[in-house]
Amino acid sequence: MGFFLVMKAEIIRSLIIMRRYWFRTLTGMAIGYGMLMVLIIGFMSSRDTITDAVDGRFADPTTATNFVLGFILGMFAFGVVGMFTQGIQGMAQSGVLEQLCMSPHGLIVNFLAKATVGAVTSVFYSGIMVWLVTISVNGVLYFDAFPVIVLLTLTFINLLGFGFMMGGLTLVFKQVGQVAILIRMALFALAIFAREELLEINFLISAVMHALPITDAAICLKYVLIYDQGAVNGEYASVFTHPSFYFLILNCVVWTSIGIACFKVMENWSRSRGTLGTY
Amino acid sequence: MTPDSGSLVSLDGIHKTFFTRHFFYRENDDARRRIYVKKEVHAAQDINIDIAPGKIFGLLGPNGAGKTTTVKMISGLVKPDKGAVWVEGINVEKSRKEILKRIGVVLEGTRTTIWPLTPMENLRYYGNLKNVRGSVLKKRAHELLDFIGLSEKKDVQVRHMSRGQKQKLAICIALIADPKVILLDEPTTGLDVQSSRAIKDKIIEMTREHGKAVLVTTHDMHVAQELCDTIGIIDQGKLVTCKPMNELIEVFSESVFEFRVDEAPLLDPLRAIPGVVQAEVENGNQSNTKLLVLHLTPKEEFRSEALYNVVTHLRDCGIQLHSINQRQQNLESVFLQLTTSSI
Repeated sequence: MGFFLVMKAEIIRSLIIMRRYWFRTLTGMAIGYGMLMVLIIGFMSSRDTITDAVDGRFADPTTATNFVLGFILGMFAFGVVGMFTQGIQGMAQSGVLEQLCMSPHGLIVNFLAKATVGAVTSVFYSGIMVWLVTISVNGVLYFDAFPVIVLLTLTFINLLGFGFMMGGLTLVFKQVGQVAILIRMALFALAIFAREELLEINFLISAVMHALPITDAAICLKYVLIYDQGAVNGEYASVFTHPSFYFLILNCVVWTSIGIACFKVMENWSRSRGTLGTY
Repeated sequence: MTPDSGSLVSLDGIHKTFFTRHFFYRENDDARRRIYVKKEVHAAQDINIDIAPGKIFGLLGPNGAGKTTTVKMISGLVKPDKGAVWVEGINVEKSRKEILKRIGVVLEGTRTTIWPLTPMENLRYYGNLKNVRGSVLKKRAHELLDFIGLSEKKDVQVRHMSRGQKQKLAICIALIADPKVILLDEPTTGLDVQSSRAIKDKIIEMTREHGKAVLVTTHDMHVAQELCDTIGIIDQGKLVTCKPMNELIEVFSESVFEFRVDEAPLLDPLRAIPGVVQAEVENGNQSNTKLLVLHLTPKEEFRSEALYNVVTHLRDCGIQLHSINQRQQNLESVFLQLTTSSI
């Protein structure tokens, strides 16, 4: 119940700020679109060089749509984890974190609600962005609502666990927020370049890729949105039977358990150290 | 140990030590060495406080004495190393979420508020966070804005408001869940006289009329003297005194005497006289006299004898005594006497 109450408060707060700062909202989207287009044009013109450099491992055609989707997913991952790291830092500076810590719903419920609202907003913006850019590059996206919603939800849960872990560390060591930018950049790159071929290089790389929180999610989403679930002659190989989908579910369970446990331990530790709510 | 049954807040022997780590350089004969130091900072050492309903407790102390840490331990933001904090008879560590419904906290005033929102939107947001909802929240938000005098500003974004108004809003946010215990960390710092006065009046009103238990930390002795029923002075984590305001001032006023003398006496023989706690010489306003200030024992039965012995000693030393006055104390001088060691 507390979760929904906090979520309601967050939605209202976000909508008010979005409406009150509408110019910033619109220019943010325009700038995002412009940057994405510049990156795509740059990527397309240097694609051959990249393909040569990795010795033909990405020999299958990397379309602009693939890149766009990877980029947007990367942004999503960057944003969700950032809500916990930079978000905690910012809230500690503004003093809002102290009030959240003193909410009877508990810090985890508060962050869960905040992250959910943030993710939904992000999906909304990202959806518009993907659509605009796809039209601009004459790409095609296959939008099958059910698997897309399921995959986005799982992706979010997966990132949430990782975010909680990083957020817990930020509660104790506020400077971790800066270091986390590197980790977020790595997630960003992973989302762009994640593809099934990466999992076939060798066992070690495959294991690491599966363990990281965005790889399987990105592969599954690309499989649905770009490759139309491997449709051949109208026959679908559903994403729900794809091996990466099972790894994604496993990843969600493992990362969420680790993340929330870690966050609780860190919250207690930061109370002992006196760093909870302070910057 | 269970808390005092008449108190809304009880601190029972709490201790808190923080560790700071830093490097410093030491110059040796021929080299400059970098040394790592881990230092203990005692923020609270065996602190015992009780606050009854309808009373204001003032916690005073120099910077870094442990005031904010104490507030944070009551609100569950910092975990005590030892001892227990009780709010309405409930142990803070054992039922933290339960406690958070019963306390309102203002930490460093204006930082709490969300600046792009209006006061009404802030109250609704924080109300939801504090589990207050629907018509109850709406009614309470209006009542609080009326009470604190912000009704006219209810639709103005916080970023356009003055510091005093932001501070008033922070107090409203702390009160939104109608808590019985209110903790105010430096509520009047940086405010002009009018805003400070308005906030003091509101604190007194909510305490007396609504039976809240209030803990105020402040550096401003005038604020403490006007507001508080009981004063606790904390220094280097230790509660050096904890008494009702009147009693505290009375005790110190009765025992401090000014002797106007023509020359400064040796202080050690004076300090050796039974009943003399402290002796020091200040320059008098008149250039040809000195002011000898003696702190005598607070025990009345020994004080007269100590006074007689001091006068006799001065006469034996050939020092001419012009006048003797009892020094009128205020909270500031009491505070300075009790915390001089750390200044």
